[in-house]
This record gives sequence, C-alpha cells and structure tokens, in this order.
Amino acid sequence: MPTSAPEPLLKISGLSAGYGKIGVLNGIDLTVGAGEIVALLGPNGAGKSTLLKAISGLLPRTGTVTFGGQDMSKTGPREAVNAGLVHVVEGHRVFTQLSVHDNVMLAGYGMNGAELGARVEEALAFFPEIAEKRNDRAVTLSGGQQQMLAVAQGLVRKPRLLMLDEPSAGLSPVLVDRVLTAAAQLRDAGTAILLVEQLIEKALKLADRVYALARGSIVLEAHTSEADLPNRLEHAYFGQDVSAPLAS
Amino acid sequence: MLESILSYGLAVGAVYALIGITYNVMFSASRVFSFTAGMLGMLGGVLGALFIDKLGMNAILGFVLVLACGALLGVVTEILTVRPVLKSIEQHLYVLSTLAFALMVQQVTAIEWGTDAQPFPALIPIDPDSILAIIDQKFWLPLLACIVTIVGLEFLYRRTLIGRAFLAIAEDSYAARALGLPETGLRMASFALAGVIGAMAGFTGAQMLLAYFGNQPILSFYGFVPVALGGMGSNRGAVIGGLALGVFQQAANFLVGGIFAAVAVFAVFIVVLLLRPEGLAGAATARRV
Amino acid sequence: MTDIAATAPVRTSWLGRLEGKLSWILLGLVGLALPLLDDSYIGVIAQRAYIYWVLSAGLNLVVGYAGQIAIGWVSMLTLGAYTTAALAAGRVGPEWHPYLALAAGGLMGAVFGVIVGLPALRLRTFYFAMTTLAFSTIVTQVALAWKDVTGGGVGTPGPVFPWPFEPGWGFYYFCFILAALATWVTANIGSSRYGRALVAIRDAEVAAEASGIVKARLFTLIFLLAGALGGVAGGLFASLQSYITPEAFTFEMSVLFFIAILIGGRGSILGPALATIILTALPEFAAPLVQWSTFLYAALLLAIVLLVPGGIADMLDFKNRRPLTLHREIVPRTELLSRVLDRTDGRRAIVLRDISLHFGGVRAIDGLDLEIRSGEVHGLIGPNGSGKTTTLNVISGYYTPKTGTLQLDGADLPFDQPQVRANRRIARTFQTPRLVGAASVLENVMIGGTVHGHASFTEAMLSLPRHKRDERVLREAAMQALATVGLESLAEVRADRLQHSELRFMEIARALMLRPAFLMLDEPAAGLSAEEIRRLGDLIKAISREGVGVLLVEHHADLIFDICDRVTVLNLGKMLAAGTPNEIRSHREVVSAYLGA
Repeated sequence: MPTSAPEPLLKISGLSAGYGKIGVLNGIDLTVGAGEIVALLGPNGAGKSTLLKAISGLLPRTGTVTFGGQDMSKTGPREAVNAGLVHVVEGHRVFTQLSVHDNVMLAGYGMNGAELGARVEEALAFFPEIAEKRNDRAVTLSGGQQQMLAVAQGLVRKPRLLMLDEPSAGLSPVLVDRVLTAAAQLRDAGTAILLVEQLIEKALKLADRVYALARGSIVLEAHTSEADLPNRLEHAYFGQDVSAPLAS
Repeated sequence: MLESILSYGLAVGAVYALIGITYNVMFSASRVFSFTAGMLGMLGGVLGALFIDKLGMNAILGFVLVLACGALLGVVTEILTVRPVLKSIEQHLYVLSTLAFALMVQQVTAIEWGTDAQPFPALIPIDPDSILAIIDQKFWLPLLACIVTIVGLEFLYRRTLIGRAFLAIAEDSYAARALGLPETGLRMASFALAGVIGAMAGFTGAQMLLAYFGNQPILSFYGFVPVALGGMGSNRGAVIGGLALGVFQQAANFLVGGIFAAVAVFAVFIVVLLLRPEGLAGAATARRV
Repeated sequence: MTDIAATAPVRTSWLGRLEGKLSWILLGLVGLALPLLDDSYIGVIAQRAYIYWVLSAGLNLVVGYAGQIAIGWVSMLTLGAYTTAALAAGRVGPEWHPYLALAAGGLMGAVFGVIVGLPALRLRTFYFAMTTLAFSTIVTQVALAWKDVTGGGVGTPGPVFPWPFEPGWGFYYFCFILAALATWVTANIGSSRYGRALVAIRDAEVAAEASGIVKARLFTLIFLLAGALGGVAGGLFASLQSYITPEAFTFEMSVLFFIAILIGGRGSILGPALATIILTALPEFAAPLVQWSTFLYAALLLAIVLLVPGGIADMLDFKNRRPLTLHREIVPRTELLSRVLDRTDGRRAIVLRDISLHFGGVRAIDGLDLEIRSGEVHGLIGPNGSGKTTTLNVISGYYTPKTGTLQLDGADLPFDQPQVRANRRIARTFQTPRLVGAASVLENVMIGGTVHGHASFTEAMLSLPRHKRDERVLREAAMQALATVGLESLAEVRADRLQHSELRFMEIARALMLRPAFLMLDEPAAGLSAEEIRRLGDLIKAISREGVGVLLVEHHADLIFDICDRVTVLNLGKMLAAGTPNEIRSHREVVSAYLGA
C-alpha cells in the first residue's frame, strides 16, 4: 500500500484561507503522496470545499503549497492545472449549453489538437453512458450524468493529482459506485486523488489515508487501516464539548 | 416613401444591431455593460473618414486600419476600465469607469476632429448602371456587415474551441476558471472582438450617419435598446430588435416627426423594462439572500 | 451603570466635527462677505457654484446616499430652466410672476425627478444609468423641436427676478440663500433615519428590508426632493444666463455634478459642496483648460473610480486609520436584556404547515412543518442544501412557497414581503453579515430601529422637535443594544474595521433594535472562536428567556445541543427528526444523515 513518501506529491503547510473577513481555514498542514488516495472528511461547514479551492488557487490563501517539488503558493488555477493538479469542483458545474464532447474538450484547452482528441476519447471511455450522448447538450443530462461529465473533464489532462469535491452528491448508490470505481482505476493508473466525500464508509473503503477537518482545522490524521476509526471520527467531528457520545 | 422608410430604417437598424452585438460580446465574457459600445461606433465613422478622406488611403486599407483601431481600443477598455473594477468589491463601478473612458475618447475626438458632422466617402466605386446601384451602397453596406458578423460569430461559437471557451466563461466563469481556462486572456480577446464589430458598425454606417462625434450617445442608447428588450447576451434579440427599432424610427420620422419617435422609443424602453427587467426574452433573476 | 448612553457619550467623528457647524459657518461668512469685493466676475462664478450646488445637494442624496447612478441629472436643470423661463416670458398663457414661475420650475423638476428616478426600484445599475442618460438627451431634443415654448435653437430669455433679488448682488444673495437652504435640508435628511435607511439600501439592501425599510416610499420622497432642487436650480440658471438655448445644457454639466459628489465622498455633505465649488471655479482660473474641461472631468472620474472609490472624505478620515486595540473581547451583558426587550406575555408562535418550495426542478423544501414558540430556542440543523436557510428565508418573506401556510399567532403572515416582518417584530441576522461598512457601528445598529421613528420626512427635513426626539431615543436604544452584546466601546468605529466575530454580534444588536418577539439567526457561530461561541450561546439563551422565540440555524452541533430547547433536523428539504437535543442525539438516522456514516 502506498504511504506518504519522503517527498510527497502535494505538501501544504500553514495554509489559511476564507471569504473576505470570514476566516474559514486555520493553519492547515496536509500531504498527499504520489498515487495515493486521501479522503478529506468532516462535518458540514468545516471548510473541506474551501480547502480544495485554496489548494487549486480558486481562493486567495496564505501559507505554502508545494506540488511536485514546485512552489505553487502564489499561482492560480490555470498554473495548477498545467502542472497536473486538477480540481473537480462541487455541484457538477458543467456548461449546460455546450455538447458533452465540447465540455470535455474545453478541459484540455490549450493542448494540441490531435493529442486533445485522443485524450477526450480516453476520458469519455470511463463513462460509456455519457460517451453515447457526446453530441447532446449537457443540459439534457441527468444530475448523475453531469457529475460523470465533470469527472471526465478532470481526467482529460491525465492529472498527477485529482481533487474531487463530493463526487457522489445527488447520485444514486449505483452511480456512486461507478464514480468511485473510476477513482480506484485512476489510482491504479498512478493518479493520486484527494477526495472530499460525505459517504464516510465508502470513502474509508477507497482511501489509503484520511484527514478529518472540523472548524477549519485538521483534527485527525490516520491510515484507513487503523482500528476504531469511525468512533474516533465522530469524536473529532463534534469536538471535546460533547459529553455524551453519540449512540450508533 | 415606404421604400425609403424600409431602406433607411433597415440600414440604421443594422447599425443598431451591430452595436447591440458589441454590447453582448463584451457582456458575455465579463458580465459588464460597457458605455464604450457607442464610442466604437462613432470612431468607426470618424477614423474611416480620417484615413480615407483626409489621409487618402484606399478603402480597403482604411477599413482594415479602422478595425485594428477598434480592436486596440477594446483591449485598452478591458485593461484600463474593466479589469481593475472586476477585482474590487464594488464591481458595479464599471458603469462609471467605462463611461469616463468613453467620454474621454469622445472629447479628444471633438477637439481634434471637430464638432461638425463631416461627410464620409463612398467606399465602393459602382457603375451607376449596374444592378448594385439600384440601392445605394450606404443602405446595403451595414446590412452586409450585420450578416457577415452574425455568420462569423456563429462559426466562432459553433466551430472553434476558443468560441466555446467564450460560451463557457459566459455561462459559468467560476467553473471555467477551475478548468484552467485563461479567463483574463479570453476576456481581453472578446473585448478586442467587440472593438472590431463596433468599429465595423460605425464604418459601414457612416455614409448615412456621417463622421460625427455626436453619434456616440445616440448609438450608445439605440444600440442598447434592442439588447435590453431582447434579453442581454442574445444576439438574435439584438438583430431583430435593432432592425425593428430602425424601421420604427424612420416610419415615425416620416409620419409624425423625429421627436415623437425619440420620446416613444424612450417610453417603450422604460415601460418594458419596468414590466420585465430581464427583457422580453430574458430569464428571471437569481436568489438574493 | 444605570444609563449606558450617559456613561458612554456619543462622540462625533473627526469629519463629523468638521462637518458640524464650524466649517459651514466659515463657508457662510465667506459667502456673505463676498459682495464686499465688489467684483462682478467673481460674483457670477459664485452664483453659478451656488446654483450647481442647489442641484447637486439633492443629487447627492440620490447618488451619494442611495447609491443610484443617476448620471443624466442635468435634465432636471433643463426642465426647470425652460419651465421658469417660458412661464415668466408668457410663452404659455399669460406672463407669470418670476417667483411663481420659479416655483413651477421646481414642481416640474419634482414630477420628472420621480418619473425618471422610480425605475431605479427595478432596474439594475447600468440600465438605470442609461435611462437617465437617454432622458437628458431627449429633453434637449424636445427643447430644440418645441419652438413655441422653448424658442428652439434660437432660445428664449431667462426670467428677471424683481426686488428684493434683482439682478446683481440681490440675485447673488438669492442664490446664496437657496444654496444654504438646500444644504440645510439635505443635511437634515442625511443625518436622519431616512438618510441612514438610504445608505442601508445602498450597501445592505436585504438588511434594510428586514429592518422594515420600504424602498419604494423612500425613493419616491428622495427623487421628489432631488428633482425639485434640480428644477429650482434650473430656474436660477436661466436667470443667470439671461438667455437660454438647448446647447447651454451640456452633458458635461451632468458629469460635473456627478464627480463633485464622488470626489466629495459618498454619504458626506460638506465634501460634495466643496468639490462643486472647486470644480465650478477651476476652469475660470485656468483659461486654456476650458476646451479640455470635459476631458479632465472624465479623466478625474476614471481616476476616482479606480484609485479612491471612497472619495476625498475617506482619504481625510484620519480618525478611522488610528489602530484599534488588538485582542478585543466581546463580553455580552445579558443582565441588560430586560431593558432592550419587551417582555412578551402569553404564548406566541410562528407556525409553518406543509411548506413546499422549488427552485427550478430542485425541491428546496418539501412538505415542512415547523413551530417556533416564544421563550424557546429552536435549532434547525441538517446537511448542506437541506433547506435550512431557505426555511428561514420563507419566514422572513423572501420566497413564496408552492404550497403551505405561514402563520403568526394564528394570523396569516404574507409571503414575499420581507419589509412587513419588522412591524410584526420578527428580526433576523444573515449568514454573511450585511452591514454599511462606511457607517459607524452605532449607525448600523440604529438602522435596525427605523420602524420605531415617528417623525415624517418633512419633519426630519426641517429638523422639527419630533425628529430630534426620534434621534435621541434611537441613539440611546442603540447604545443599550450595543452594551448588551458587548460592543459599546466600538460604537464610533467604522463598521468595516470590525473583526468578523464582532460583526456577528453587531447584527444581533441591530436585530434587537426591533424589540423582537421572534429572532432568527442564520449561522451566527460561523467563524467564531470556541470562547466566542460559548458567549454567543449564553446570549441567545438569555434572549429566549426574556420571552423571545429564537430560530437558530447552525452547523456547530455542540452549540445546538447546548442551548436549544427543541431541535428540528432537515434532510433534502424534509423533516428527518424533531425533538429535544437528547432525543436527537440518539437518533440513528440523524447520526447517519448528519455525519454521512
């Protein structure tokens, strides 16, 4: 099983970010090794999505972000994408007025034509049901299909690290498994994944390591093989103020 | 009379439509309505007359130079008045920054070119006996420009990746940024494109409207009316609305006088917007809280 | 510590002191003494500055306070000028007395001010700017074409006012007096609850609505006043010019009025007044510039927008650059609550039955029942997108659900009317604090008490006793509310200098100004430290013990379980569970929905 290598693919230290005056994240330290799946868990409002946005540069942040040995603390999402750090944002925000094929093409904007065509086919091959609809406008897709399309967009550049923000939200259980299986396939192909997920059990099953985020700080870091993880997670979520443990 | 209402009305309407498209092209990449649309139209005429009439260039070279100037002004508009404002908290200040820039350009024009309307040369030497001469070129040139623009834009948006990137940014700029699309570069490109279209509108319409610095506020308003009524971002709405507006104005000019037309257009504009602020074909607004 | 207002006297800011009497007296003395120079050239420039200021003073309320981009306001000057001139010259019916004609000019301005201004209620910034601009173009065109009345391009003579304000220094004093009057009237409005309401609409519209501010009514009054002042300025202008043609009313003047206000600073009176005087006089003393004056005004406008959006007033606001104490603590004083709140007797309730609401195809709320009772803290929790905030927004009147009823004490509470909540004493805070950054904390809190004022617009305009009493009462109540939440030491600080956690408490203070029977809090603990959350919890609990029904939307499970009497859990717009915190805590489905386990 891959563990955090001495020189991790992504290394974040002392990262803080927020929206205007509202500080959401406080001094986050986190690493993702090459080819590793790391799950990022936490209750609502803990700052998981904010953390992904801060990493990819969609949000301004302080602290350092190193990716593949390169300092990316000051760069924006475009540089991140070019370096192989791709962020699939939450809410399957595809371009509804464009065709499925064009949506995937745009994810490779700037690549040369022949290579892009091949990459688009590879990405679509992961999801036959949307590949079938390649010429339909994305507005005609169901929510689950749009989510697949969003993940397919994330694959076009063959990223070294793919950040998936709640890929299962709004999907039926069958589709959830499909998306997560695709993630496992990617890992086997050498892509590292940082996964924000609400479905804890599924996330734990898939991931190698897990971070729990609560109130803007990392409150737990563990390997998924460790014992008693669900209980420790619950404690981490609710903080130390809760005297009675949650029944489960 | 009907003939001149139609020919003049459609021609002016085509200019309005092109200015409307100029607004749209800038809007879709930036969510900004820029007062520079009318300025570009005004300059298309003035610069064309300057290059061809005063400096004696041939029509084609003059035309290309005018378009180049339009593109340049588009880029300057983006860098100087749009980019800094979009970065600030009070984004609606673009209304003032673009207006200020448009006024500055208009004033320089008034001082350097003069405040009188000056004639614009006929562009294409046409044998008076040929079929093309049945309708004066000043009437069909703007219509031709309008058709070329629409076909060109359709090709751009449907057939090229950069065109799709424009559409993507227009629909969801956040998702586009996350995908790694060069938002700033695309915005600048769309302002350059808008500059070309606006300048072309003024250039092809100038045999009718003359090379006159005072065309700026008129084009700003009458070019915006079809956009506001047809729903922003909709080029089809801009074309239909622009042509209808041009014909209506000419009909009113002939039948009841120009002042009535101006007041009527203004009244319709206000009333429609009050009843449907999103335009006749637009979608409802998003949540506020 | 019996009287908070007395122990923490309200000091005016540095700019406030400057704006206060002294600088106006100085300006007034210069104005009064100017005729002693006996220089008619300077006299004319001064008259023009006064006239422009009469218009700009009114426009300042529209642009500086209400934040509406009305760039074509020169049209009011045109309308007033032609109305006065045409009536006085007898072009319409018999000759009117010039003073009467001037009044008619003001009336004309008032009418068209409302006609041109009211679209601002519905149109967004660029649209509104464009309509005012187009209107000013059209007025000029009509003036050119309507030869019988306006003389067309040839023009018409302006009115000549008889004794006591005959041409020369008499007319000078007429302009001076009217400018002083315009200043006094608009300054009174600006510092009244009407002025604060305008600024609230500009910077925090939803908070203004929640405080019961009715935008339509307020805007009608403001545009009436601004139009009237513009019309009067037009009549004076016609007299000063002695002969008017449509070319006299250039768009350049609109730009001048507009940038004077922006340079002077939004929400200030003295700043725009000084800027108007300077901008009017400047081209006169730099003759070669005259040709370039419009260009320079436009360049100035661009520079201000890009470099100092706050205007000169912001640049000179030294007091608010002084550093605040770091490590400030918010210590609420819950013992003061009994004075801030009216004890609610009897059992009152907001009841939702079978509420369903869709956004497009998405069901935001799906058949929800909810009851908020006085004296209880009711927690509303659930995952993102489960409909918590949407529920709160239905109660506060932002949405009309597809089905269901909403009742307060058995009577229907109308949907889609946020501004009627304040009168029913239903207060709320917002997920992202909504505030007027440039106003002081105290003024922000005073906005919450707008509905408690009694003085009419006219009373406020003329600063009559009832208005003064309103102000005193509001100010004291706001200080009390600030003391209660623990922010009284920051009362005079600009609100945008506060820390995020302080803004959360400031919003609660503003909500308390309604003396609410019900208080709805939208994620008040977000972004707060553990200690602040504990204090917030104590405050919320104490508020409910005064008989207020509290609805608390929160993510912080510990806070919810600590202070709530009852908890409702939402998932996908439906009620998943309801009960006491202990029941919820051991609810299996809740644990799985909330934790996703």
